[in-house]
Amino acid sequence: FRFKDSLAEDLRSADLVISHAGAGSCLETLEKGKPLVVVINEKLMNNHQLELAKQLHRDGHVLCCNCSTLVETLQSMDLSTLKPFPPGQPEKFALFLDKVVGFQ
Amino acid sequence: TGGHTTEILRLLSCLSESYSPIHYIFADSDKMSEAKIRSFEQKRAETFSNSKFTLDRIPRSREVRQSWTSSVVTTLYSMLYSLPLTYKLKPDLILCNGPGTCVPVCISALLLGLLGIQRAIIVYVESICRVETLSLSGKILYYFSDYFIVQWPHLKEKYPKSVYLGRIV
Repeated sequence: FRFKDSLAEDLRSADLVISHAGAGSCLETLEKGKPLVVVINEKLMNNHQLELAKQLHRDGHVLCCNCSTLVETLQSMDLSTLKPFPPGQPEKFALFLDKVVGFQ
Repeated sequence: TGGHTTEILRLLSCLSESYSPIHYIFADSDKMSEAKIRSFEQKRAETFSNSKFTLDRIPRSREVRQSWTSSVVTTLYSMLYSLPLTYKLKPDLILCNGPGTCVPVCISALLLGLLGIQRAIIVYVESICRVETLSLSGKILYYFSDYFIVQWPHLKEKYPKSVYLGRIV
C-alpha cells in the first residue's frame, strides 16, 4: 500500500514485523509488543537515523540485518531472545515541568 | 513535523490543566500535524473541559540537510513571522523538541526577554531518536534553553548541563 493513515491495525494482527530503521516504525512496533527485525541500508540512511536502531539492537529489543543477510536472519532467528520494550514515562516529564514552573 | 509532533503530544499527555492555553506552532509545509493536534486536544477536552489551544503556522526554517548558510537566511525569514507571533502570544513557557521550526521561535523569545518585554522559560526535549548525537536544533538550543532534556544516558555524559529523566515519550 502507499500511505495509510495508520498502521495500527496491521501491527495488531502481525506476528512479526520487518522494517526499515525509521524511528516511528521501530517504536510503534515495539510498543505493540511485536517482534521486530530491522533492515538497515547504510547507503540510504544518514547516520543519525541509525543511532536508535543500533541502540535498540544493543539493548536486545530488535534483530538487525541488512538487505543481503535478511533471508539468513529470518531462517536462523530466535525471537525468544528479544527483550520487551518498556513504555516511556511522560509522567516523569510532567513532574519535572511542574517543579520548573512552580506548580507543585 | 511528523515524528516531532507525535513526541511532543506524548510529552503533553500527562500535563495538568494548569498548562492552558497551549499555543501550537508548526511549519506551514506540515500537512499532518494539525490533525494530530486536534485529535489530541479533543481527548484532552474530555478530561479538562476548560482547556484552550491555538494553532499557528510559520514558514519552515530549514529543509533536511539544507546547507548552513542558506539555513541562516531561511531561519531569519521565519523570524519575520515568529517574532510578531511570539510577541502576540507572550508565552510563559516554551516547550520544543527539535524541528527547525523551534529555533526562530526560541530566538524570538530570547529577544523579547532581552528587551524586557516577556521572559519565557525555554524547555527543550531532544528526540528519542537522538542516542549519541544532538540534532542541529539541539546543538544550538543547548546553550540558549533554560532546561535541556535528553532521553539517553550517553547524551547526558556528553552534555553535562542536560537533564536526564530516562525515556519520556
